[in-house]
Amino acid sequence: MSFAFLSAAALAMAVLALGPILAHLARQTPVERQPFGAMMLLLRLTRRLRRRRRLRDLLLLLLRVALVLAVVLLAGRPELRLPDEEPEVGGSGRVVVVLDNSMSMSQRAGSASGSGSLLARARERAAELVRSLPEGSFAGAVVTAGPAGGAERLLPLMTRERAQVARALERTDASWQGTDLKGALRQARLLLVGAPGEVVVFSDEAGLNPVRATEAELARLLEQGAEVLPRPILATEPRNATISEVVYGDGVEGGSLLVSVVGYGDVGEVAVTITLPDDSQMTAFAQPAPCPGPPEVGQEAPVCEPLLLRFTVPPEVPGGVGKAKLQDGALSSDDATWFHLPRVGASRVLVVDGDPGPTPIRSEVYFLERALAPWGRLGTGVTPEVTAPAGIAQLDPQRHRVVFLANVADPRPMADRLSAFVRQGGGLVIAAGDNITPERYNAALSQLLPSSLRRVRNLVALDAQGGVPLKPPGQGATSELFRPFSRQGRAAFSQVYQRRLLTLEPYLDDEEVRTLLSLDNGLPFLVERRVGRGRVLLLAGSVDLAWGNMPLQAVFLPFVQRLVGWLGGESGGATARFDGLVGELVEVPIPSAEIVPRVEGPTGEPVAAETVAGQLRFRPRVPGAYTLSLPGAPPLAWVAVNTPPAESDVRRHAALASVERALDPSRLMRRVGLGAPLLGLALALLLLQALLAVPWRKR
Amino acid sequence: MIVWEPEVLARIRHLTLKARHAVEGVLQGAHRSRALGPAVEFVDFKEYSPGDPLRDLDWRVLARSDRLVVRRYQAESDLPATLLLDASADMATGVGSLGAGRPRPPLDGSKFGYALCLTATLAWYLQLRNEPVGLTVLGGEGLPWRVLPPRAGRRHLSRILAVLASVSPAGRAGLGKGLRAAAERQRRSSLLVLVSDLMEETETWAPALQALGQRRTDLRVLQLWDRGELQLRYPRSARFFSPEGGPAQPLDPVAARPAFLQVVAQWQQEVRRAVQAWRGIHLRVPTDRPLAEPLWRLLCAGRTAARRSSGSPP
Repeated sequence: MSFAFLSAAALAMAVLALGPILAHLARQTPVERQPFGAMMLLLRLTRRLRRRRRLRDLLLLLLRVALVLAVVLLAGRPELRLPDEEPEVGGSGRVVVVLDNSMSMSQRAGSASGSGSLLARARERAAELVRSLPEGSFAGAVVTAGPAGGAERLLPLMTRERAQVARALERTDASWQGTDLKGALRQARLLLVGAPGEVVVFSDEAGLNPVRATEAELARLLEQGAEVLPRPILATEPRNATISEVVYGDGVEGGSLLVSVVGYGDVGEVAVTITLPDDSQMTAFAQPAPCPGPPEVGQEAPVCEPLLLRFTVPPEVPGGVGKAKLQDGALSSDDATWFHLPRVGASRVLVVDGDPGPTPIRSEVYFLERALAPWGRLGTGVTPEVTAPAGIAQLDPQRHRVVFLANVADPRPMADRLSAFVRQGGGLVIAAGDNITPERYNAALSQLLPSSLRRVRNLVALDAQGGVPLKPPGQGATSELFRPFSRQGRAAFSQVYQRRLLTLEPYLDDEEVRTLLSLDNGLPFLVERRVGRGRVLLLAGSVDLAWGNMPLQAVFLPFVQRLVGWLGGESGGATARFDGLVGELVEVPIPSAEIVPRVEGPTGEPVAAETVAGQLRFRPRVPGAYTLSLPGAPPLAWVAVNTPPAESDVRRHAALASVERALDPSRLMRRVGLGAPLLGLALALLLLQALLAVPWRKR
Repeated sequence: MIVWEPEVLARIRHLTLKARHAVEGVLQGAHRSRALGPAVEFVDFKEYSPGDPLRDLDWRVLARSDRLVVRRYQAESDLPATLLLDASADMATGVGSLGAGRPRPPLDGSKFGYALCLTATLAWYLQLRNEPVGLTVLGGEGLPWRVLPPRAGRRHLSRILAVLASVSPAGRAGLGKGLRAAAERQRRSSLLVLVSDLMEETETWAPALQALGQRRTDLRVLQLWDRGELQLRYPRSARFFSPEGGPAQPLDPVAARPAFLQVVAQWQQEVRRAVQAWRGIHLRVPTDRPLAEPLWRLLCAGRTAARRSSGSPP
């Protein structure tokens, strides 16, 4: 709102306001003096009348000054400029209608359950506007979310066939995509081909960025003489709940899923249901607090703290894409969120026992089995399968995640299988022992070993007590392997000592090879190498009591559990996992140009894809779990496609009209002349002062 | 030695003429003593009580009814009167006067002139009745004597007239102080006539009336009433000021008149209550009426009061 004078020079007459003031001051001092014998009574009267008279005099003065000022203002021809929310359309004869069909427009318009969507209302009003345009007007239509993944024209050019444009608008479907308002304004500008015209925008103007991003396009449109006329389509009570993130992590049984629920507006209590890849379901209830905001223009959006829900994953779940779904009854399009879940469950660790010892303390498997499944095969996600070296044929990349080679003497028969297993994402742990022959290992597993094995070395005399302790990993250790260990937990590694050690040829830590643990004397104890999508860990000590005391230390059990969880869960997987958004290009690297995987949508339908520069590209239209697979083979990759998170924030952060007015303050304003109200005010003031003055005189 | 100015002498003559003229029209009458003394005129009977003079026993009643009854008589006596004249500066004002600042306002039309004439008339009348009469002037200046105690005789009347002719209004009257001083000098059962416009706050002089009431003084207050002044009959706005001093007040008399009349009415009630609280008589004396009228009202009011004090019906 602003205020202006058409004849500002007339305001100089405001000096006339001094007239009543001077008259008021002069009136107070009569010149003539009159002796008076009843002065005592006059003083009584003065005391009685003083307050009332002062108030009356002051009121009269103010009224008369206000009267003069009102007349002066009247002479200045003032006018008020007020925001015009719904300016008239059609005056230019060239109108482009921009229809927002982004996901947020699918929200219910009213709080009642039977009310239609915002898009339905917008379609109706847009079509009505087009049909009501004057005869001979050119009309065009643009949507913010077209099939190609951005703003698109509904008709290639502007046309006089207004009914055709109206029908195209009425046929517009809701999309799952974000709001490309900037692109829509650009398309409108192109439709106007540089000529003046009117662009009418039907949008809920929801979200943090879509409206603010239009500034440059708005400026171009205004520059070419076009008018942008927003027609906000707003819900009576904007509210929506959404799942912003699902993260799989450690926990009891098969681990846990951490679900972040965000509420925009008062959404009340919502039920969150997790559907795992094996179609098992879990449900919990959440009542997220409304996110703060929306922020003022030019300010950062306040941080929205999500409500965290933790779901415990069953001990055995196949890997794949899971679905988290909530029901808030406001905007159903973003209720479901797809997430990746690694293979979780029993039988994932294959322990190859290379030296079944005569007694438990001489057997690596004895300690490994108890560390992997301390409570038996129930109540834990890890169930070791123990086999002799010949049983390596049981290794199944779809079932096993980690292979333990425990003091295996000759790995040559299993080298190829192990190599393929690791390259596809499996984890391999090679534990040393007296049976190991470095030459055989170097020859068979050179592609997997972090470094060539050198020899077995005695660190202390055979009859001496103790050994060389481990150097605990510091707080700065970068490997995720040690993340769950607190400072005390890491210090417990120093209780482990080694009497003998398998030494390695010298190597340098780089992106492929890393030393995770070493002894106090600097010799490497645990070394990692990345091979393909998997990892190999070389344990230079034994997992029985022959070379050290590690199996008896408190840190042994959590260390082995973490080792398996890390190798089998977070760090790898047989199938590649990718994320994508509806309407945006998803790119998946493929190993060979000859291989062209088939892309299947959430319901198994084929999805058009193309291969460009070693990458398979496709644009998902709906959210859900997409798979890339070759015929007759397990899925090559999973793609979890979700709706744009920005669309879930259905609140109006900025008004298009405000952005336009910021660019040109004269836009979208209507002028109201203040002459008549001021004249009325002046007359009222005149009457009031007369009423106040005249009765006093008559008394 | 007093040197009479020609103007004073002229005023004495004028006062004499006015007083004589006024008195001639007034009914002749006698005052009755408030004290019951030696018999002159029978009043009533009472039962004898020890100490009563035996000569007052009514022997006939004793013979007829065997009752001891005493006859009571009312004695005739002189009534010493004191006239209190307010000569404050405020008395020089009034619509009929020619304005403040003149040493002696005219006897005709001004508030002070009317007060002088009225006082002189009272003195003349009382002297004719051979009553002792005194004069006390409150405020004023240029007067040879401020207090003349009550005496009878023409020579004393001449002194009174000389004082009245020479006094000029000035300063404040100090009504409270003057009434208290008069009460101390006053004999029991005497007459005190106050001639004033009473333009002092009532609470300053009303308490002094108590001393007069306790001495059973017959108090008559003649309040001079200038209609023009008390109805604010002034044509235009002016800065009103008191000749006694104080700041001037700018005033539009036309606009202020209604409220001023309310103040005057309220003040009159205060004055009347204060005077009547001690059995005084309050008479409002408009300055535009003939002198005989207030004198007549004063005498009538005196008879009525006497009847009331003696138990007679009004």
